[in-house]
Amino acid sequence: MSSLLLKTLTKKEEIDRIIRDTIDEVLVLRFGRCTDTVCLQHDDILAKSVTDVSKFAKVALVDVDSEDVQVYVKYFDITWFPSTVFFFNAHHMKLDSGTADHTKWVGAFHIKQDFIDVVEVIYRGAMKGKMIVQCPVPPERIPKYNLLYKDV
Amino acid sequence: MATLEDSFLADLDELSDNEAEMDENDGDVGNEEEDVDMDMADLETLNYDDLDIVSKLQKSQRYIDIMQKVEEALAKDSDGAEKGTVLEDDPEYKLIVDCNQLSVDIENEIAIVHNFIRDKYKLKFQELESLVHHPIDYARVVKKIGNETDITLVDLGDLLPSAIIMGISVTSLTTKGSPLPEDVLQKVLGACDRALDLDSARKKVLDFVESKMGSIAPNLSAIVGSAVAAKLVGTAGGVSALAKMPACNVQVLGHKRKNLAGFSSTSQSRVGYLEQTEILQSTPPGLRARASRLVAAKSTLAARVDATRGDMAGINGRALREEIRKKIEKWQEPPPARQPKPLPVPDSEPKKRRGGRRLRKMKERYAVTDMRKMANRMRFGTPEESSLGAGLGEGYGMLGQAGSNRLRVSSVPSKLKLNAKVAKKLKERQYTGGATTSGLTSSLAFTPVQGIELCNPQQALGLGSGTQSTYFSESGTFSKLKKI
Repeated sequence: MSSLLLKTLTKKEEIDRIIRDTIDEVLVLRFGRCTDTVCLQHDDILAKSVTDVSKFAKVALVDVDSEDVQVYVKYFDITWFPSTVFFFNAHHMKLDSGTADHTKWVGAFHIKQDFIDVVEVIYRGAMKGKMIVQCPVPPERIPKYNLLYKDV
Repeated sequence: MATLEDSFLADLDELSDNEAEMDENDGDVGNEEEDVDMDMADLETLNYDDLDIVSKLQKSQRYIDIMQKVEEALAKDSDGAEKGTVLEDDPEYKLIVDCNQLSVDIENEIAIVHNFIRDKYKLKFQELESLVHHPIDYARVVKKIGNETDITLVDLGDLLPSAIIMGISVTSLTTKGSPLPEDVLQKVLGACDRALDLDSARKKVLDFVESKMGSIAPNLSAIVGSAVAAKLVGTAGGVSALAKMPACNVQVLGHKRKNLAGFSSTSQSRVGYLEQTEILQSTPPGLRARASRLVAAKSTLAARVDATRGDMAGINGRALREEIRKKIEKWQEPPPARQPKPLPVPDSEPKKRRGGRRLRKMKERYAVTDMRKMANRMRFGTPEESSLGAGLGEGYGMLGQAGSNRLRVSSVPSKLKLNAKVAKKLKERQYTGGATTSGLTSSLAFTPVQGIELCNPQQALGLGSGTQSTYFSESGTFSKLKKI
């Protein structure tokens, strides 16, 4: 069970604390429900890779059903579960994956290596001082979606 | 004359007397001199007839003395070890040393008797010697079979494993031997008895030594066991002698040299008596070499304790044994399980630039050539030549300067790879360069139809007319097209 290895956050203070306390490591926050099938697949990949990236990344799950967290859900404009947001030293890192929304990664990763690659690229970019990095995942494996802006 | 005859007769008598004496002696129970020349003994064994020439040990005084003492001591079973006296002066200790020597002698004696039996019994059953190797077993088997022609009647069940019994029965059917004459048979049986007696005597001696080893060298026997301890002490010539030896020597005490000339000894394991210890017998063969070194080292320490009689209760020995056991166990535990390693932090390890022959060869292709180096340098005071003359174009530097200490600049075959266009231009220039064209080329061509024909050699080489340029060519295509 992935939730055994990964921390699940339900309160706003917890999220704040973890963002503040992760120093010189990429913080991966997954927003989603633990019952959703896509979320489960995503969580499985995260759990498998958490030891591999443990030297330069930290992974945490945010349960989107608790009220405290709705602030963040609204802030990051999360509508599709799971969505993954990346932070480095309390900076929000953007990821250009060819989709419309650069602020987060929407959907599940197809393979473990994809996730590890993304985290590595974010780390490298962040260490160099960039705020946005290019996604190394080939477009076949990027989940596609349509971005609706105010139902347009 | 009479005196001469008499003297001759007397001589003859003497000779015959001598022979008679010698016969008597041969038939007699030959005793006393153990130190008969070994050469003589060897010669005699070739054509002996009686066991007693060969096997004198049992009748020797030394043997009898020591056996007596052993029996006494066994019967007495005293354990009054005087702790005050030095080890060497203890009479029991002397007896132990003698017993060790004797057991070695008995072993040799048994081997001699075994040879005797075998040679006599070869007439009856030749193959038995190759089937049953151990001398004592052989003696027992011979005794049981006797002169019997049908081996199946003989019950060998308690003497040998069944596989060998089967082998014996099978070979006995095809053996070429014939039953022995009565007197030979008696001699053979006598020899068998002798061998068995010697064997039991040896056992007695060894048992005695073992029982006493506990009081002589308790620490050593705690580690290697009393039998092996006795052997070690015997071979070394005393407990203090053993203690003075370095551990590497102790390891090879009793090592049987089996390598014939020319065979390497690296495949042999250099272990002697220690191989028979319980510790080494119970270690897996892969660890035997390491274990034998360990045991040799610790047993040397124990021997040193015993030589000074520091610890008569054997506590040290037991502690050392425990240490050895623990170490051997530790060697045998499996390696720790592999943990999944996390990936290294990206860009934390700088890329290692590799060197080597391949890289050097690659770099050579782009290296600065000698010619270029010469062209880069200039002579002081003289203006350099240049390609277009008068300072325009590429400067030639030191190339071709009078006074440079080279007659000509050696042209190393350049590793530069020229692209096709440049290569063509170069070839053209070379051809029309004039100074480099061979003097034997001719522009005349002899054709069969038209006779002498003047043709353009450059065309023949595919260089065109030399004045063609791709830029203005009529057949050429546009080089660059841009879509508006």
